[in-house]
Amino acid sequence: MSEVLVALAGSPNVGKSTLFNRLTGGDVHVANWPGVTLQRAEGKTEHHGIVLRIIDLPGTYSLSAQDIGEKIAREFIVEEKPDVMVIVVDATSLEKSLYFAVMALELYQKAVIALNMIDAAEKRGIHIDIQGLESKLGVPVVPVSALKGIGLGVLLDRILDVAQGRVRTYPLRVDYNGLEPFIHEVERLLRERGVLDKYPSRWAAVRLLEGDEVLLDELKKIDPELAEKVNSIRERARIELGEDPERIAISSRYSLIDEIVCSTVTRVKLAAPTLTEKLDELMLHPVAGPIVSVLLILFTFFLIFAVNTGFPLNILFDHMGYSELAALIEEYSLSGILGSLFDWLSSALSEWLTSMGYADWLVGLISDGIIGSIGTLASFIPLLLMAYVFLGAMQDSGLFPRAAVSLDNLFRRFGLSGRAFFPAALGMGCSVAAVVSTRAMDDDRERMVTAMASPLIPCQARLLVLLALASAAFTNPLEQSALTVSIYFLSFVLYLLVSKFLNKFVFKVEYAPDLVMELPPYHRPSLRVIWWYARSNTEHFVKKAGLLIFVLGVATWFLLNFGPSGYLSQGDISKSYAAILGNLLTPVTSLIGLPDWKYALAFEVGFVAKEGLLITFSSITGAADPVEALRSMGITPLKAVSMALAMNYYVPCLATVAALFSELRIGKYVLLTVVIEIVLALLLAGTAYWIGILMGFS
Amino acid sequence: MDGNLVPLIALRPGQRGRVVTMNVGRGKARRLMELGLLPGEVVEVVSNSVGPVVIRVRGMTLALGRNVASRVWVEVIS
Ligand SMILES: Nc1nc2c(ncn2[C@@H]2O[C@H](COP(=O)(O)OP(=O)(O)OP(=O)(O)O)[C@@H](O)[C@H]2O)c(=O)[nH]1
Ligand SMILES: [Mg+2]
Repeated sequence: MSEVLVALAGSPNVGKSTLFNRLTGGDVHVANWPGVTLQRAEGKTEHHGIVLRIIDLPGTYSLSAQDIGEKIAREFIVEEKPDVMVIVVDATSLEKSLYFAVMALELYQKAVIALNMIDAAEKRGIHIDIQGLESKLGVPVVPVSALKGIGLGVLLDRILDVAQGRVRTYPLRVDYNGLEPFIHEVERLLRERGVLDKYPSRWAAVRLLEGDEVLLDELKKIDPELAEKVNSIRERARIELGEDPERIAISSRYSLIDEIVCSTVTRVKLAAPTLTEKLDELMLHPVAGPIVSVLLILFTFFLIFAVNTGFPLNILFDHMGYSELAALIEEYSLSGILGSLFDWLSSALSEWLTSMGYADWLVGLISDGIIGSIGTLASFIPLLLMAYVFLGAMQDSGLFPRAAVSLDNLFRRFGLSGRAFFPAALGMGCSVAAVVSTRAMDDDRERMVTAMASPLIPCQARLLVLLALASAAFTNPLEQSALTVSIYFLSFVLYLLVSKFLNKFVFKVEYAPDLVMELPPYHRPSLRVIWWYARSNTEHFVKKAGLLIFVLGVATWFLLNFGPSGYLSQGDISKSYAAILGNLLTPVTSLIGLPDWKYALAFEVGFVAKEGLLITFSSITGAADPVEALRSMGITPLKAVSMALAMNYYVPCLATVAALFSELRIGKYVLLTVVIEIVLALLLAGTAYWIGILMGFS
Repeated sequence: MDGNLVPLIALRPGQRGRVVTMNVGRGKARRLMELGLLPGEVVEVVSNSVGPVVIRVRGMTLALGRNVASRVWVEVIS
């Protein structure tokens, strides 16, 4: 056997992705709410010399193919027939997570159960009889803790045992009581006609009686007559049993689960999760809940801001009379230090290259175009890392689903449910992630609306531009943070308003969908989980930045240094191609008080990715530190405000536009999203600018 | 029987009830049942003020929008 294909399946939030990362060394997104993984991820590991290809599937409560996640999971199992399906269940709540296991075992018997979170179960005094569980379920059961790394070797052993046929597994049989005669009838019909034979016939019969639309459609296509017949059997069952066959099927599975749990689980002490109760009193409070949720988010940015600028320490020291120390803190904030380091590097390199006799333009390209741009983006890495660490900790804590519940009441006024909190919160990391996360929405309209509105939330790239603008134009840290925080606040308000607009005028439905969501227990954020999140996002940033520097940095450098008259050795960039390109857009940027072609060019480059704005500023001025670059371009507080507003909303970046296309699949809506953003940007930046002018700013 | 039939939304925090019927569309009913909220289950209300009703059922905590919660009928258990 060359390669063993292993699928990780199970209910949402049971730790599949944690297990995936542990087994493969990956860093897919792990967070404490149901519905985090929405696309399958793939990785590899080796055990006893055998390569295992491991697939992380979206978590689903069942295999009904009702929503996208369920479809992906079911199709994978049926079509790709993994050598082993690892069904991950949560040892702390078998009553619930066994539902998926039962459904999955009816469908596919080459399986191993990973009894995850065994660490938490032990802490809560929950004892599980493993052998008992194995004999009830007919497949190996391995207690593991993906988080603590317990039992993983044994799990891999069992996976290979099943894959290589050393251990026999048995199909699980649920007793469907009154439904049984009908199941036999449908099963016989399916066998006679030889249809739907890629599914186990009993499973297909039950699903058809339950009214599984996907399966019925499939049957209708191959054998419409049989589909009719099945439908009439289902009707007959409903009448004869006096109950919906679906309800009978679901309760039968739960009866089996109750019986299994009753005979295999013992609770030593009823340890009440007091932390959860105490915190929930606060988070689910009608007034305190929403306030705490919003404060938590704002606090993130306050923290990032503090690291970046030294605020509030600099103010504090200033007031205590240590003004020199305060200035030092400002200058030696993380990004300040890295910025000057790269400035120094770039000038040293340029001197050295010149002394080696290289052509002027090449020296310029390397020292300004490349090293300068690297410096610009590298100086932000510590900052980003911090932001991701904090966001990662919040995501792993269990606070986010509570925030969604407590904001539900507010969101309803805008035709959204509390679920809409997730795309907004994830959007603070990256708009692409936000757009993808809308797949978890139950309601189709809400999914589209939030996908279209979520790029309004400033992502990390825009945060960097925002911080650079604030620090360049304002000297008072209070003013700097006021600008940053108000942009975030405004963005959340716009997220809601644009959603309302879309609901009302585009989708023409105004009621808010109802929230139905499981609230997982809180837990102390795991350093490992935080590290995965911070690492994967920072790595993504670095890779993207690298590409952008070589593409955008070099491109803008050429545009700036060449013009219709050839290489501009005098450095007169006003005759460059860049100026020509920028000037195409200046009629528009003049409306918002930025008539200089340099800003216009930055906006053009920034469409590819918002980091491009900073790269452009550095390329134009030759200063690696974007704050310095902006200052030497003569930025004023008013221009900075206008730029901040315009930059944040004027258009989603290229990657986000692509993600919108693949999620919405309707070009019209993507176009509408872009138009809404452009209009908002011009309107807000223009208004701010002209009010500022009237008030006497310049 | 002490159980008079009331919608879930009428229960105060700490009160318990046994689910009798769910007056919701098919898709929603399936979702609720798959989550473990099905007729016969005992639920306890954790919080119920302006936002979603938060309940405990089958050892897990579930938030239900007020509209859904007003369509789940329970028999009060004292
Ligand atoms: N105590 C404990 N917590 C765990 C364990 N494994 C995972 N977790 C936590 O459970 C939560 C969910 O983990 P994920 O790996 O994202 O769960 P998932 O099954 O991939 O979830 P979806 O992608 O939403 O289906 C996270 O907060 C993890 O920190 C474990 O073994 N013990
Ligand atoms: Mg996952």
